[in-house]
Amino acid sequence: MLVLTRKLGESIAIDDHIKIVVVQIKGKQVRLGIKAPKETKIHREEVYQAIQDQNTEASQSDLSSLSDLTSDLKKK
Amino acid sequence: MKINTTRFGELEVEKKDVIVFKEGLLGFENLKKFFIVDPGDQTLILWFQSAEDPATAFPIIEPKIFQPNYVVKLLPAELNSLDLESINDASVYTILTIPKVVTEMSANLKAPIVINNKTKVARQIVLQDSKLEVRCKMYKELKKYIVSYASDDSNRTTASAPSVTSPSDAQISSTEPSVTEEQGPTKDL
Repeated sequence: MLVLTRKLGESIAIDDHIKIVVVQIKGKQVRLGIKAPKETKIHREEVYQAIQDQNTEASQSDLSSLSDLTSDLKKK
Repeated sequence: MKINTTRFGELEVEKKDVIVFKEGLLGFENLKKFFIVDPGDQTLILWFQSAEDPATAFPIIEPKIFQPNYVVKLLPAELNSLDLESINDASVYTILTIPKVVTEMSANLKAPIVINNKTKVARQIVLQDSKLEVRCKMYKELKKYIVSYASDDSNRTTASAPSVTSPSDAQISSTEPSVTEEQGPTKDL
């Protein structure tokens, strides 16, 4: 991993069109500004983790848990 | 070809029904081939079954069933990666999590599975819209839909054995009124 030191207000350029600026430093928190083309996808890492967790949990469903749901859903 | 599955036993799957991922689902990157199983239980919940691992299958549903306003907006690069010209040529499913307390069931609206109906190439796409939830509770909406749907007998046949279904065949969107911007106002029936 490439590690760079930046001060408040300084930035990093990635390729020609992506810029990451240190907007604010407050205690243990850093606020970053990201300038990127519209088609660039930017997510907090936690989003990917949450999706991965949901996928894993979903893959463990069995037919019996679903049949409980089925009978419940059909009750009027 | 015959494919063995843990939940449904051996199923006959036609080549045209095999859905192929370039990247796999998040956390399941090694599994690239899937097919859709309709368990025939009239709940509109289908199974996204791995063709490579008999034990891996995900309960899925078309999000429009419980959230008619759900619209998937893809970036040009995402459409390209699926060889799609428009999202209208794709099937969209969300993965369901069904806990012991079934009323707590949820759908992943943040990262739907998008399948090109023609080529059967698929991706789980993380949408940029920050309002979409990874675990959107939707039991009430689904129940409401199923109760009203089941009361119309002409729409459904009786429960049947599990069968493999093609994403485009399984789509209900063509018969259900929807309110996406592309399609404009729905017709009066």
